[in-house]
Amino acid sequence: MKARLAAALVARHAGNWLLGSFTLLFFVFLVAPIAVVVAVSFTPQAAVSLPYQGFSFRWYARLIEYRPFADSLLTSLYLALNSALVAVLIAVPAALALGRNTSRAATATVAFLLAPIAIPALVIGLSLLYYLSNLGLGVSYTSLLVAHTVISVPYVMRTVLAVYRNVGSDYEEAAAVLSANPWQVFIHVTMPLIAPGIFAGSLFAMLVSLDNLAVSYFFGTANVTTLPVVMLSYLQNQFDPAIAAISTVQMLITIALLLVVERTYGLRALTTQ
Amino acid sequence: MADLELVTSSAVAAAGHATRRRNRRWLLAFPALAFLAMFFGVPLLQNAARSLGLGDYPSASTAITLAHYQKMLADPYYLGVIFETLKVSSLTTAFCLLIGYPVAYVMVRMAGRLAVPLLFLLITPLLTSIIMRTFGWRVLFARRGVINDFLMQLHVIDQPLPILSSSVSVYIGMIHVLVPFMVLSIVPVLQGVDRRLEDSARVLGAGAVRTFFTVTLPLTLEGIATGCVLVFMLANGSFVTMLLLGDGNVVTLPLLIFQQFTLTHEIGLASAMSNLLLLIVLVCLYAQLRLARLKEA
Repeated sequence: MKARLAAALVARHAGNWLLGSFTLLFFVFLVAPIAVVVAVSFTPQAAVSLPYQGFSFRWYARLIEYRPFADSLLTSLYLALNSALVAVLIAVPAALALGRNTSRAATATVAFLLAPIAIPALVIGLSLLYYLSNLGLGVSYTSLLVAHTVISVPYVMRTVLAVYRNVGSDYEEAAAVLSANPWQVFIHVTMPLIAPGIFAGSLFAMLVSLDNLAVSYFFGTANVTTLPVVMLSYLQNQFDPAIAAISTVQMLITIALLLVVERTYGLRALTTQ
Repeated sequence: MADLELVTSSAVAAAGHATRRRNRRWLLAFPALAFLAMFFGVPLLQNAARSLGLGDYPSASTAITLAHYQKMLADPYYLGVIFETLKVSSLTTAFCLLIGYPVAYVMVRMAGRLAVPLLFLLITPLLTSIIMRTFGWRVLFARRGVINDFLMQLHVIDQPLPILSSSVSVYIGMIHVLVPFMVLSIVPVLQGVDRRLEDSARVLGAGAVRTFFTVTLPLTLEGIATGCVLVFMLANGSFVTMLLLGDGNVVTLPLLIFQQFTLTHEIGLASAMSNLLLLIVLVCLYAQLRLARLKEA
């Protein structure tokens, strides 16, 4: 009996040890390509290599020299901000209108407003390109803005819906009973309650917009294009550490945004589907 | 009598008021609905029409033709691409499940105070650009890259391995991009499992392995299903990984659409292919909906 117990304990110990090391390996796998890029960005060499000898910021200086990087980074940030703003303006009223409506029509409408998240961005981009060209918009900043807003709406919609459904209608009803008019209820009660959802949703939409390649690819012009598109064409033409430097800069911006979400709303909002 | 009339009429008025208010509420949804109908719904329908030979390109035509689909389904090359798309998505999903489940298990059951930092680590790669990650893999996999250097210094191999010109790099890249979604789908479900059920199984004499396969795994099927549908769907739409890590070895529908658009400008065919891709996604969405219904029931 004692021997069996000991054997079971040993087996359990070994099992835990195995699972633990597997998980450790997994996280090494997850972080490795990113860590490698950050390391490469500090190489003093002209070719892509790890900074075995010395440490240099020359590839960060290259970011300032090679104008398309800085220009497209600004375009990307501006575009992410604007598309998130438009998405908030149209998606928040829709979420409030439909969030607590359980009718078939409302459920179907919500499903439609969330749909762009599920459709491959490449398909959206290709379809939208011909459509907007027929409208005379073609490749332009406006087209980029329209396309990115289409993709941003579901993200804002999703988080606002989740928060709005979660807080329930008690506070708003109480305010209405206390003779606040609908506008006052919205400004003083609903708005503060759903603010974190709006905030998290729009930040997440911005993150998605910043990394989007499939849609942006179709609408960029020689003058106005986004960072991922510039990075892709740079990477296809030359293989040097400048890509590592700009990637690192972009990652730092993203992590800063993520920390803002974490501080104001918690990371959980990003993971609930 | 008069009282009753008053009560009824005010009730009717209140009901009418409520209906009007509901209708006014719908107005709030109008801008979003109109925007997405105009810039998402209609373009996709137009794309479907274009794939059937209708519409604006290259000339306005009103005859429906299945020529693009026939070309796609009769040509062994295109059939191969469709098959490859489904193969890559299925294999990626399977690998993500095999790798992701144990990781989710450790994060929920064994990580303790490390759980939150691990969650952070899990999410961070999702927020780095896809180009950064594929670039990282290229540095690691190159002929004179980190992995080959390391293995040669250890004298495990004498010749650098041609990792970048095999499909292995595509699968590794895909798993790297998508496995966090699998873990994130399983974690919450695993957290919800009543551990007393497992304890009961153990008390009744089942071993750890048997308890896992007869109790824990069935209880987390829902998370597994959500994760699998999500990963499969996202894998179907990926093309950057194949483009930058595939070296032409792995050609899937999205990559081919991308190439059709940039190189050959065969728009009708590209439309048909994106329509087919859309169809695969809709089937996945339907499966997901059915799973959600199952969960409610």
